[in-house]
Amino acid sequence: MRLSILATLAAAALSAAPVAAQEKVKLINVIELSGAGATAGTNFKNGVDLAVADINAKGGILGRQIEIVHYDTQTNPGNTRAAVQRAIDEGTYAVLGPVFSGPIGASMQISQRAEVAQIVGGEAAGFTRQGNPYIFRTSLSQAAAMPKIAAYMKNSLKANSVAVVWVNNDFGKGGRDQILPELEKLGIKVAVDVATEQGQADFAADAIKVKNANADAVFVYLNEEESARFLRAAKQQGVNKPMVGETTLLGAKVIELAGDAANGAKGHVGLSVDAPVPAFQEFGKKFQAKFNYASDHNGLKGYMAVYMVKWGTEKQKKFDKKGLADTLRGATIKPSEEPGILIETTIEANGDLDRISFLAEVKDGKQVITETLPKLKP
Amino acid sequence: MSSLASATTPSRGLMRRIDGVFLTLVLGAAILWFVPIGMGRYGTYVLSLWMVMSIAVMGLNLTLGYAGLKSLAQAAFMGIGAYTTALLTTKLGLNWYASFLLSGAGCFALGLVLGFPALRVKAHYLAFVTLAFSTLVWLVLRNEQWLTGGVFGLSNIPRPTFFGLKTDGALAFHRFTLVITLILALALWWMIRSPWGRAFLALRENPIRAASLGVNIRTYTLLAFAIGSAYAGFAGALYAPLVEFIDPSPFALSASFFLLLMVVAGGSGYQLGPFVGALLGVVLPEWLRFTGGIYLIVFASIVVMLLIACPQGVIGLVERGWLALRRPGKGGAA
Repeated sequence: MRLSILATLAAAALSAAPVAAQEKVKLINVIELSGAGATAGTNFKNGVDLAVADINAKGGILGRQIEIVHYDTQTNPGNTRAAVQRAIDEGTYAVLGPVFSGPIGASMQISQRAEVAQIVGGEAAGFTRQGNPYIFRTSLSQAAAMPKIAAYMKNSLKANSVAVVWVNNDFGKGGRDQILPELEKLGIKVAVDVATEQGQADFAADAIKVKNANADAVFVYLNEEESARFLRAAKQQGVNKPMVGETTLLGAKVIELAGDAANGAKGHVGLSVDAPVPAFQEFGKKFQAKFNYASDHNGLKGYMAVYMVKWGTEKQKKFDKKGLADTLRGATIKPSEEPGILIETTIEANGDLDRISFLAEVKDGKQVITETLPKLKP
Repeated sequence: MSSLASATTPSRGLMRRIDGVFLTLVLGAAILWFVPIGMGRYGTYVLSLWMVMSIAVMGLNLTLGYAGLKSLAQAAFMGIGAYTTALLTTKLGLNWYASFLLSGAGCFALGLVLGFPALRVKAHYLAFVTLAFSTLVWLVLRNEQWLTGGVFGLSNIPRPTFFGLKTDGALAFHRFTLVITLILALALWWMIRSPWGRAFLALRENPIRAASLGVNIRTYTLLAFAIGSAYAGFAGALYAPLVEFIDPSPFALSASFFLLLMVVAGGSGYQLGPFVGALLGVVLPEWLRFTGGIYLIVFASIVVMLLIACPQGVIGLVERGWLALRRPGKGGAA
């Protein structure tokens, strides 16, 4: 009896092993799991893991299971380049990540040379303007988001002067360089322009500068932890003007860390688990259940990145690396075709995305969507 | 490496040790010429990165290991070299060789200027001055966007050509880096063997005795510091075309600490120490990736244990072991 069971098991193992090996498709996620980008990168990674688990549970892509590997970049451009090179050498079908734009800039030529699609979480405007046809975003770029936020400050908040607070890294500086001309176009005066440091702990001095400037609104463009610290400092210093942000300011992590101080923060959100899109909320619940905390926009980006790969592969009906990039370029992915994309997404020729986005406000410790903004080119 | 050990009787022992180092360098270079074949571009890139970091560590080894100066500005000098080369090759279209020499010369000159006042004070005061300099350089790299590209960095840095041969491929650039590394390592080997090198050593062992023997302490410490900085500049000039993109982050203060760690872990004051140290700092974390999410914790634990077990670094441990084997009962001498 025992022998026969063993024999059956052995036979099963023998027959299953080669099939399983054949049926896998390798995806490598090159991501910030340590260093300055660890919060963003970990969210992106978890989003990727969630999507892979979902897809594999439903039979994989074209019948093949996804084998996912994560390589940490330490948020360092040189290491990112090594990791992307390794991913290409190991035959990844597409490169996922990273999120920070410096490391993206250091590594995107590698995937371009290998003609492999690289689907990244970066929002800085620059890297899709270099004519690299293999780079793809998973969110709106700052160039797309900032005109919306400037218009919001002008039209809804009736602001004539704005204090701009930004973090001096590629993300913050990129956003600041995008919003200033937009504000100028609408005739909004920049009352004070405050640069802060990545990883800064004490924002009291910055909050006082903002308070003294006495602008009609405050535009806060910092990474998650720093946003929360700034909101707390601003509350302590009695800054009572509307706090306006773009995606990060209204993120789940910021609301959790800032507590009461986050209430009243307003702004533009590209991706949010609180948006009035059932698919987003469904994702948010699944993410919460699996990882025991609320996902921010980077979790959504990671999730969608895998589904972009799935959609492109099923569209071209084969596993062709270059073909995947060709298929994605210029495509519009509808949730009716691929529910995992969550909302209709148009991929432009340079890798930028066009999607609907949202205006939101934090009320009683929750992000509440107040308005849905249409796609730029509906 | 075998004859490393016999540094006991002053002149003959030193000669024999140096020959061993020379042979190891040449033999190592010959092996490294062929190692990347069939290795893939990732492995080749990591090897190239290792050699580039070795050059910077060699410079710091001269400053710290031979002249005994604790500098916290090595990564800053590397940044100056990298940005000099990147700007000269991308914006002015200068060829890489000229940029390389200018990067080294620039760092040498800056080393002199920085070292002159700093070396009037000793020990941790130099560390403070270099710490301030390091922060200053990083701020300039980040804030002067018109020149350095600021936080967005500089991209598309061209790779050099070698007598008409392009080094765009990973293997070609690896071999190019290898040749430059060997030249710089041999230059340092020669220097250590020269009266200069003996003066550096004398300074480290006992400055007062060195002075009484007629060594001009100020000049030699300044020279050691400037040459060490020039090596960082050379390393930067290779780093920029290797990564083809630079931003301020790899040249921040933490990177200077990391270079210092590589010197100490490899074996400060040993010619081959920098190669072992950079191997630990660059290649070991990459190799440890198989441990998954905890690889940096494993890496840090290994380094801590290593430094507890052998405060003189890996080469120091090898030398001690060798001495113990050859002359049992007499113990090691460094």
